[in-house]
Amino acid sequence: MTNIISKYCIIKPHEVIVDGKTEFIDQEKNKFGAFMKSVYKHYEVKYPKYFKMDNLCKVAFIASEIVLKGNEHIKEIDPVKVGVILQNSHSSLDTDTKYNDTIKDKSNYFPSPAVFVYTLPNVMIGEICIRNKFQGENTCFIAKEFDIDFITDHVNELLDSNKLEACITGWADYIDGEYSAILFLVEKNKENKKDNISFKPEFINRLIK
Amino acid sequence: MNNIYTVADNIITSLGFTSKENFDNLKLGKSGIKQTVDPKITQIPMYCSRVESERLNAEFKKISNPDNYTRLEKMMILSISDSLQQTTIDPSKQDTLFVFSSVKGNIDLIEDENHPFDKERINLWAISDQVCKFFNSSVKPVFISNACISGVTAIIVGTEYLKKGKYKNVIVCGGDVISEFTPSGFQSFKAVSDHPCKPFDANRTGITLGEGVGTIIFSSDKEIVQEANPVIFRGGANTNDANHISGPSRTGDGLYYAIRNTLTEAGKTNTEIDYISGHGTATPYNDEMESKAIKWAELDHVPVNSLKSYWGHTLGAAGIIECIAGIHSIKENCLIETAGYSEHGVSEPINVIKEFNETEVKNFLKTASGFGGSNAAAYFSELNAD
Repeated sequence: MTNIISKYCIIKPHEVIVDGKTEFIDQEKNKFGAFMKSVYKHYEVKYPKYFKMDNLCKVAFIASEIVLKGNEHIKEIDPVKVGVILQNSHSSLDTDTKYNDTIKDKSNYFPSPAVFVYTLPNVMIGEICIRNKFQGENTCFIAKEFDIDFITDHVNELLDSNKLEACITGWADYIDGEYSAILFLVEKNKENKKDNISFKPEFINRLIK
Repeated sequence: MNNIYTVADNIITSLGFTSKENFDNLKLGKSGIKQTVDPKITQIPMYCSRVESERLNAEFKKISNPDNYTRLEKMMILSISDSLQQTTIDPSKQDTLFVFSSVKGNIDLIEDENHPFDKERINLWAISDQVCKFFNSSVKPVFISNACISGVTAIIVGTEYLKKGKYKNVIVCGGDVISEFTPSGFQSFKAVSDHPCKPFDANRTGITLGEGVGTIIFSSDKEIVQEANPVIFRGGANTNDANHISGPSRTGDGLYYAIRNTLTEAGKTNTEIDYISGHGTATPYNDEMESKAIKWAELDHVPVNSLKSYWGHTLGAAGIIECIAGIHSIKENCLIETAGYSEHGVSEPINVIKEFNETEVKNFLKTASGFGGSNAAAYFSELNAD
């Protein structure tokens, strides 16, 4: 049986697309921080820890909140059977650069643990797991571009082998003011509904183009 | 299902440039940790384990021009070259996949504004591009950056391809280098030990950092296995604590689930494990959490060590080089003592190895935990273990 996309979300500059429909547009074309804050408000996310996150975590986290909205049944699944598998290009380089600025100048040396902890790309996965108490397979893959063939192959294997029942998966990247997230909530197809979209490269390529 | 054979391995650390050199030093109880006052690395005197630069460049010159590669790339290329020499595998063929793990990659470039490399070289994928190009591989590589469990995750993900039959051979290579970036961060966390780290000990105060690279070549092709009783990979699993991004679970639940799922994957029970290669970073919280997970899995009687007090915490290499040490513990039927451990310092009565001993080792479990709440475990055994 194929695995299906229960919901997907694309965040790109000034725009949020959910299941193929533009749900939010920032006409003022604000910078990342202000744009994401308006998305946070629009979707009524209530999670003060969000404001401590670095920008990579913010874009991944908000996309995960959007795909989980209306899918509360995911939280009924055994937490060890819900995974988060993401891919990204620039790792945590944006925060790495910010952190490096705090140690570069020896006369102005102030390394901060609160910044250092975000110099790991898989922390975005940790944030999503903490928020939702997901405890299953979690891996951060790095590739120059979103490798849909690879991600679908890996995630479908985790679902087909029953290691997972559901998975938040896709792409999240942030570097120097440029950002994108393409997140999917993928589940095993239990009801065999007609309008289900299979989590396969040929369908995904159509969705995200 | 296919057997997944380990067919070759290499370790490059402060303790040597081959697995044998490293393992011989471990058997002698020799640690590679030394104090450094190098201002490029630390503002205060700090213990760490470093790869000797002169030797690295001298060894690398034998195969290529050291000026064309970063420190990490040189270590990776040397490590893979040495591993390949132990096999008949042609890495340029379509049946061989490269899987990489690194936490910070070429992070030393971020600190050196005058480095001679392309701007893009700071990206993790640029490392796999360089290394694959060196070995004429055109198969798209896999790159994993999963904090301190990266190496174990790379082994789990890489071997999955052999199970599925998608590739015949997988070269898993992981590593990290020490520059100023990582030590300063761990120092800001007050997580660096002011003496060589003491895993599971009552007087442990934090980690000792290390650098290095490890490579394991796995194959499903029985024809290329040279040993009569090779070590095989049985299974592994990753989980998350879902507790805190920089502190481990208080109960050990995430690591326990990783161990439990690994045993299921491996088709094994907790009664067959002869040795646990622990994570044992020597931070107060990690070692305590690990002891709870081991107890929960009813493995508290099983001999466990941490090799962090020999190599330091080598981040992306740690999971791989510690698995290689486990493979050699099986091959040589011996267990390495946990250097720095003298007074039991975790709440559960786990069986920390106090002195080197020769004993039959057929099965071992590797555990790892890291920032982001990640945990992983992997199970290896000799082919004739059952």
